[in-house]
Formats: sequence, structure tokens, C-alpha cells
Amino acid sequence: MVPLRPLRLCGESLTFMKQETTWPKRNLDVCTRCATCMAICPVARVTPLFPGPKQAGPGAERFRKPDEPSVDRWIDLCIGCHLCDMVCSSGVNISELNLIAKAKYLDEKGRPLRDWLLTHVYLFGRLASFLSPILNPLLQNSVVKWILDVFLRIDKRRQLPGYQFPTFRQWFRGHPFKGNKKVAYFYGCYLNTNEVDVGKATVQVLEANGFEVVLPPQKCCGIPMLGNGDFKEARRMGLWNVPSLSKAVNSGLEIVFSSTSCGHMIKHEYSHLLHIPGAEELAQHTFDLFEFLRNLNGSGTLNTHFKPIQKKLAYFAPCHLRSLGIGFPAFEILRLIPGLEIDFIDADCCGLGGTFGFKKEKYDISQEIGKDLAEAVARLKPETVLSDCEGCRMQIRHLTGLEVLHPIQILKNALQKEG
Amino acid sequence: MHYDLIIIGMGLSGLMAAKTAVDTGKKVLLVGKGMGALALFSNTIDVLGTLPARTKLVEGLSRWVQDHPEHPYGKVGVEQLLGALTSFSSLFTRSYTFASAGDENSDILTATGAYRSTYLVPNTMLSGTSLRKGEMLFVGFKGFKDFYANYLAHPLRCRAITLSFSGSSHGELTATAIARLLEKDSIRKSIGEEVKRQLRGEVRVGFPALLGLNDPLAVKGDLENLIGTEVFEVPTLPPSIPGKRIFGTFRDWLLRRGVSFLMGYPVSKVVLKGKRCEGIHVCHPPVADVHTADRFILATGRFLGGGLVADEMRIHEPLFSLPLSQPSSRLDWFGRSFFDDHPIHYAGVVTDSSLRPVDDQGERILENVWVAGSMLSHHHLIKEKSREGIEISTGYMAALEALKT
Repeated sequence: MVPLRPLRLCGESLTFMKQETTWPKRNLDVCTRCATCMAICPVARVTPLFPGPKQAGPGAERFRKPDEPSVDRWIDLCIGCHLCDMVCSSGVNISELNLIAKAKYLDEKGRPLRDWLLTHVYLFGRLASFLSPILNPLLQNSVVKWILDVFLRIDKRRQLPGYQFPTFRQWFRGHPFKGNKKVAYFYGCYLNTNEVDVGKATVQVLEANGFEVVLPPQKCCGIPMLGNGDFKEARRMGLWNVPSLSKAVNSGLEIVFSSTSCGHMIKHEYSHLLHIPGAEELAQHTFDLFEFLRNLNGSGTLNTHFKPIQKKLAYFAPCHLRSLGIGFPAFEILRLIPGLEIDFIDADCCGLGGTFGFKKEKYDISQEIGKDLAEAVARLKPETVLSDCEGCRMQIRHLTGLEVLHPIQILKNALQKEG
Repeated sequence: MHYDLIIIGMGLSGLMAAKTAVDTGKKVLLVGKGMGALALFSNTIDVLGTLPARTKLVEGLSRWVQDHPEHPYGKVGVEQLLGALTSFSSLFTRSYTFASAGDENSDILTATGAYRSTYLVPNTMLSGTSLRKGEMLFVGFKGFKDFYANYLAHPLRCRAITLSFSGSSHGELTATAIARLLEKDSIRKSIGEEVKRQLRGEVRVGFPALLGLNDPLAVKGDLENLIGTEVFEVPTLPPSIPGKRIFGTFRDWLLRRGVSFLMGYPVSKVVLKGKRCEGIHVCHPPVADVHTADRFILATGRFLGGGLVADEMRIHEPLFSLPLSQPSSRLDWFGRSFFDDHPIHYAGVVTDSSLRPVDDQGERILENVWVAGSMLSHHHLIKEKSREGIEISTGYMAALEALKT
């Protein structure tokens, strides 16, 4: 038998992992080549350019050598949805093998300025929010979009999200509420400047359950960088966030997140992929918002004085929610609201993949994946679509033109007092 | 969270147990580390493919049960098995349905060009069960390496054609990619018209079983209109699109009825207290979530799904460390040649008549754990062609038994 070689990694952004020989579990050899992952991969389904998880992950990994340059030209097409990991009966972390291979490939090949901009929009959030009356029309302007398309290769067909003023954090400052219980909230940078209503709804629902909300200092969780294989930058964000959030935990608070992507990053990738000190302990106290509410319901303390809502909704479970491994808590909680008709959308991936769908060379793939979701939505004919992820919401709006909300916004409506 | 019933394993037996339990209004958690083997093997529903031809299933099974009291069917019994099959079929009512040919097994053509005997057949494959040599045309697709039309056409003295999808001259096409393409009207139209042009008097056209995921009967119907002959699906290599249809139908149905559905992470530990299981740990590093329940069903499959694990010496059940029926030494695992009967196939968990695990003395080990599916002992599902029948009937029975308590 050939002894398993210890895992060695190289490439600029992966250097901090060099000493690691235990992670990721050297488990590609337990792949039985069964092809269940091939039945689920949203990318391989729409384009032959990507060989699919079986080949790109454990298949190609056997041929990768740390001291040889990467030849994985197609690895960048892995959208990072984790669905292959979820269906694998053998426990191979296929998407992580892909992500590490992607990091090596891009570290060697270099990243365009565009990727840096797309993954660092959080830096301009506050300014963009302040300038939103001027900026928002510009983001819709066809000349501006043409320039972005030609010079930065950000596809002009992609709708760019508008900014809001004041930010969620600014709104929260003037929002006095005292409760006997407290909970900390990681709202995420996108919500702060682009979907303030989701944050308001979260705060209102938590307060309706007697919780005073605390906002610990926070920055972008780093998932855009990680998704682009930039471990170094992603780790930088984690190294900033973990001490700040841990401080809240040490003062006895649990952390909730309303974005499943940010949440997945903090709860799992910080420790597992990025080895950030303190992240393991932090993860024990970090909860998806609806998981938190479901726990309240389990202990009989959830405020369930819901008023009926006569509405036909469809719920889409984001990839990162699926990979959180907590089931579909929002779907379970919303089913408690009387009068609500809510369907589960039978589709695998929205196709946006964070920054993936903004890139000109990937836009068509992103849209083609999204078509399956759009068709599944069309079969259900809902008035409104719900999803826990800002990326999915953006993409479903783009694909269907329907109203798309975070499930917490419906729960907020159900809890709102008459008049 | 606390549940009435937690089912570990997301294969056909786990799904069937979940359906049966939720039918009685119980609060159910279904947890599986992956999608199970449905998307691998299952195309049709085998019950006992080894029955002699033209035997009514009920008669054949009654005899089998008498001769094999330790077989899972011996515990389920004929009546309950038929009830389980009816319950399974009741999920498929809209357009994709399952039926048997006159309550008997029928021989269905597979992608290998050989026939295999099976019981419930989806309506997209039904006309592939009574073929006459020379009357079929088989259609394969360029770039799809899991189905060679010529390979099965040759022994049947039929013709085969291999078509290309317009605009995809390069690279490989996966099963899901083709299933998706065939759901598109324009692509189906060009395929249908091309097949019609190449028809030389054949009256049936066989496609690999990839005629869409959402409404395969509509895809089949539309192709029949375009071609002007009957169209049928031929089961082919993994991944199985028909298996994925079954999984999707179950998932949709279970979610609508409020089953908590937890796919992607393994149960790392069970919490035992005396002869009772109190809870499970679902492990997702660095977090392990604890779920508790009154009852548990273990349906984690055999070696592929990790329900049984073999080391150099012995076979183990890793979660509850249940004692297994197995050959006394590794030397006895296999017969002499590949096609011999291999004793390892019969290894598995031994249960009492209510599907609760027992030790070598026949003493019940756990009071609130039931075992279902292929991990049970005393069957050889490959040789017997009984995989889906065992999974469906024991999943059904385990849930009914569990909810009696």
C-alpha cells in the first residue's frame, strides 16, 4: 500500500496552513466515485466547461502536487455552494478541496482588480450609503454599467444593488429598548448599507421576544474573499471579528446572524478553514436567527401570538443554510403563522454564488443555473419569495421580478400589533 | 430540540419511515450525512426479482417468507409488505407513477442490454418491459459515456443512433445536464424531429432514463408526439435520475408535512441510558448539536453509506456498536470466485420480530431503537433483487412498530 502523503499546501494566501497535516481530512481516498455529487452540482449541470465535483475535487486532487504549478484552469468555475459535500455519503469535503485548489491557482495566476473590488465593497459602504441619492442612479445608469463591463468585466446585465441611508447601525443608535435578556447581533455589511429593513425586522422580532439587542463592533465576515480563494484577506477579517464577537460572548451573550453566508463563515470556516484563535469557542455561541427562534419555540418561550397572514409564499433554502446543518428553521417557524401558505422551492442553487454572478465571464453560467430556480418558482406562483441569504434574494429578484424578502420580515409582520 | 421520533439515515428506508411516522402526525427529525443510495442504484422498485416468471408476487412471497423466517421479509410479513408498497406508491400520483404488470415481476431492459426482473416500474419505463426483437430504435447522446445505444441494440437486433446536442460539441455531458436539456421545449423538439427522420419503421424508441426530473411523463409524451412512436426510458449507470425523482418527491412531501430535514452531517455519537437511547449528536465541526427523542430508527445502510464498517478483522455497526450476524473469520467473507455466493452479503444487524436489535442470546439490547433497511442481516439484496422492497417495507414497519410504544 502507498502511504498517504501528508497534506502540504503552498501559495501565498495559504502559507499559514503550511504546518497543517491534519486538515482537510485527507479523505479523498474514501471517495467511492459513486457520482451522487454529479447529480447535484449546479455548475456541471449547465456547462461542460466544469468537470464536476467528482473530477475537480477528489479526482484531480490525486494529481495535484504542492511544488508544481496549478493547471486547474476550470477550478474557478466551482461556485462554492457546498451541495456536493451535503449529498456525499462518504463524507468527502469536496468543495473545500476545490476551494484550496482555487486559492492555489489564483495565487499563482494573479487576481484582477475587479475581484479585489468585488470582495472589498464593505470598505466603501458607509460612504456609499451617505452618497446614495447620487450613487444609486449612477449604479443603474447604462453608461456607468457599460464602463464597468468593459474595463472591470462586471457584467452590465447584472443589477447592482442600491444603497440606503441611514445605515442599519445608524438607525439602531436612536433605538432605545431595554430588556431583561440580551442577545448580540451580527448583521453583516450588506444588510447594514443595502437591506436595512431586514435588520430592523430582526431587532423588532427579537424585542417582541423580550430580548434587548446589542451590536458588537464588526466588519465584513470575509466570505467574499474566501469564495475568491483569498485566504489571507479572509483570515484578516476573521482575526478582527473573532475577538470582538468573543468579547460579547464572554459577557454572557449569544450571537445571532440573519445572513446564512456570514453565519456559515463565522461558525464554521473561521475555525475549520482559517484556524482563527478563539473561533471554536465562538462557534458554540453563534446561532442562525431562526435556529435561535426555533430553540425558543422548543423551550416554549417563543412569542407565538401571530396574527393571521393570508399570503401565498415560497421559501428558498440558500446553500449556506443547507451547509450549516441545522435543517430549515425559518420554514419550520413560518409554518406556525396561521393563514400563511408556504411552499418549499424545489431547486438546488440560485446561481449567484456571491461575487460569481457579477463576473462577466461567469454571468451566463450564473443565469443558466438560476433558470431552474426561476422555473421552480413559476410552478408555485407565489406572491412573495423568501430566502435567508442576501445573494439569493438579489438573484431571485433579478430572475423573477417578484418581491423577495428575508423570512424575518414576514415574522415581524405576523407579530406587529394591529393599527 | 425534542422529537417523537428521530430517523438516522436518508436512504429509501429512512424516507419511508419518515413518511409513515408523519402520516400519524408525529414530530419527526430525519437526519442523514448524505443523500443515501437512491441517486445511485434505484430506478425501479425490486421486491423479489428471483421469483420464477409468471408467479404472482403474493404467492411467491408467502412461500419465501415461510422458507426464510430470518429474512427481513420474514419479519415484515406479506400483508405489511403490500401495505408498505401501497403507501410508497401513494406518493406518486400526479404524473410519474409506479405500477406492476399484473401483480407479477416484469423483465425490464437495462443499459447493459440484459433484462432484469423487477416489480414496480415507473410509467416512463413500462413499455420497455414487453419488447420484441427488432422493433426498437435506441437513442444515445454524444458526450454521455454512461449509455451506449449500440451496446444494447446489438443483441436485440435493433438499430441505434447517437445524437449531439446542438451547440455542445465539446466535452462530456452528465446525466443531470441531459435531463435538464430534455426539459427544454426547443431542445426536445430538435431531438424528436431528428429521431423521427432517422426512424426506419421501428415502433418503439428507447432513451436512457434521463427524460427530465420534474415531469418525465410530459417529456415522454411530447417526444412520442414528435416521433410518432412509443417512447420508453432504459435504466442506466449511476447517478440515477429516476432515483433522484424518488428522493425529490419524498423530500418535497416530508417538508410540506413538517418533518425536520437535516442532510449533510453525520451523527457522531448517541446518548444511551440503560436500554434506552436519549439523544444524538450531529457533528459539524466545531459544533455538535444535540437532538433528543422518545424513539429512534437506525437506517444507515450498508458499507457504502457507512451503516456497516469493515476493518481488517470484523464488521462493525459504528453508532450503537450493535452486535452483528457475520462470518466468524475474514477468511469466510468471500466465496472462491466473483460470481459465487459471498457470505459477507448476509451480514448485518439482527433484530427481534419488532425490528429491535438483539444480542446473540436473542435478548433485546435497546428498547426504543428500531432498525430498518439494507443493514439488516439475513438477506442478499443483490442476488435476491430485493433492495427497494426491503428498504420500503422495513422502513414502513419500523415506524409503525416504533409508534406503537
